[in-house]
Amino acid sequence: MGPTSKPFEIFCGTGGVGKTTLATSRALFLAGKGKRILLITIDPAKRLKDLLGLSNDAIGEVTQVELEGVKLSALLMSPEKTIGRMAASGNTPDLASNRIVQILSKPYGGMNEILSLVEVQMQFESGNYDTIVLDTPPGAHFLDFLEGIGKIRSFFDKSFVEIFAHIGQKSTKAGKRLFGLGIFNKVVSAGVKKLLAYLQNVTGAKFIEDFVEAVQIIYQSKDSFLKGLSLQDKLSEQTMCNWFLVTSVEQGKAQEAVELKGHASHYIHKDHYLLLNKCLENVVRDWKPTDSKLLEVKVSLEEKESGLKKRLKESFLNILEFPEVVSLSPAEHLHFLTEKWKTYAS
Amino acid sequence: MSSPRRLYIFSGKGGVGKTTLSKAFVRHLKSQGQEAIYLTFKTQSMSDAQTNGSDMSKNGIREIALDLEECARGYIEKRLNSRLIASWIVKTAFFRALVNMVPGFSYMIYLGKILEMGKENPNMIVVLDAPASGHALTMVESTSNFQQIFESGVVFDDTVKMLNKLNDPQYTKIHVVSLPSLMSWQEALELKSGLKQRTPVSVDITINNYLYPLLETNLEDIPPQLKEKALNEKKLIDENVKDVQCILPHSLKHSPEAIEADLVGSLSNLI
Repeated sequence: MGPTSKPFEIFCGTGGVGKTTLATSRALFLAGKGKRILLITIDPAKRLKDLLGLSNDAIGEVTQVELEGVKLSALLMSPEKTIGRMAASGNTPDLASNRIVQILSKPYGGMNEILSLVEVQMQFESGNYDTIVLDTPPGAHFLDFLEGIGKIRSFFDKSFVEIFAHIGQKSTKAGKRLFGLGIFNKVVSAGVKKLLAYLQNVTGAKFIEDFVEAVQIIYQSKDSFLKGLSLQDKLSEQTMCNWFLVTSVEQGKAQEAVELKGHASHYIHKDHYLLLNKCLENVVRDWKPTDSKLLEVKVSLEEKESGLKKRLKESFLNILEFPEVVSLSPAEHLHFLTEKWKTYAS
Repeated sequence: MSSPRRLYIFSGKGGVGKTTLSKAFVRHLKSQGQEAIYLTFKTQSMSDAQTNGSDMSKNGIREIALDLEECARGYIEKRLNSRLIASWIVKTAFFRALVNMVPGFSYMIYLGKILEMGKENPNMIVVLDAPASGHALTMVESTSNFQQIFESGVVFDDTVKMLNKLNDPQYTKIHVVSLPSLMSWQEALELKSGLKQRTPVSVDITINNYLYPLLETNLEDIPPQLKEKALNEKKLIDENVKDVQCILPHSLKHSPEAIEADLVGSLSNLI
């Protein structure tokens, strides 16, 4: 009853629960079975870098790594590098050189999720991998990632683009280029002019001009962005994707895991697994403390964990438990978890 | 004991106990005769989903969840002197794209609101249950991003004012919360150094959920793995004790409220 590997395997969770480590161990397990694996992390903590021994130069580039004799590819998302690849493949150099686009594609800029989707789609299309294991940002930011799809949609929505085309008509080169296409040669509602007049009072006129130009430049690369949309269908298809929601006993947050699942219900299908990390049950089960204080600790730890499991079972059909690993070495930890996946193999 | 700051920001990876700790700290401040409120951000992006901020009293403490759209509307309303126009602007696709895409725009709106609340009530202390790690950096960094993006204009001027308040060590203090595990600790250090590069206010690390003290009465009477865990925790803390502001023991209680009540007495170091 363990998970069968799929083209996409998505790890999401509440943060600080070992999500990155579990995703990495899953990738290693699959690579060990001879699969061609790409492991991508969007997690800002960059812990994957340390786990895989990658240098800073590797950020944003697909890098071959070898761990315990197993080879796999890894990619730490860098919005800047993705933009660069898009500019190169779409022959739109402005995309990489525009000042505002550069700021928007900073690691925590608003383009982050959109660019992650585009990157995952580009890697999928390369056909180089059997499975892409994706480590998403923690907690609610995982939802930002999913919302990236909605963002792309609203961004390239026709009425929205019309507004930008209209504004751009006045001055910018990009605007002229768009108008050369003759698509937006239509007068947009008078409300737009008003909106801009108001906003200029607040943000300054220069900014509005720059932002509009940036959006138009982005629009020129719309084909690569829109490809990201097709990812949505793949992720919600049972044969294409496994979902792993990760939480830990330490956190005791059943509610959050359930909420996460609820928020992602558009995408999550039957093949989803709750990974419960850092279980102590096996460690304390046979413990018979003589000291009354210690007995109190044992009972508390046990009750907390069993209460958590009970609550999780009400919402999740498949729960895979991973025990607390006390060993301090990240490599040993990874090895242990990879072995654990074998016991869950179907 | 030094006099309290006006804004306390609790940050750290998810699941380290920020929420419980922030609420316990509000209780602690109140027990010291201070007027304190607990505050969170409801959303970090603008979507069509209708959300509303909330302001309620729960178990004797005031909990406020700020909503981005409401705060943005409030700001624009003040700048343009019209609620009607402000309501219209925040609903437009253009404005939403602006807020969703420009790094830290939402945080600027929130921080502006917090500072305004502080101005309205000079005695109120705000305890902010902040977004997790990376986003905390964006929040602190957002002001400088803004200076790069908006080279002039009202927003720019307001940003400079905001930055001065936020970066005033007498006004603001940041607490990074960590668990006593190596992974969590390293992340806390990373976050602290990131914050230190961006702001001159004090940034302290608090260790939460420390199990060792509960087990030390008889270390021979516990399972080897649990013993190793406890000893690893102790080793971590012993080696880094100079970098830890406050150490909070593991609570045997179950509900967040009960854990909160347990913590209240141990938080004087955080003021």
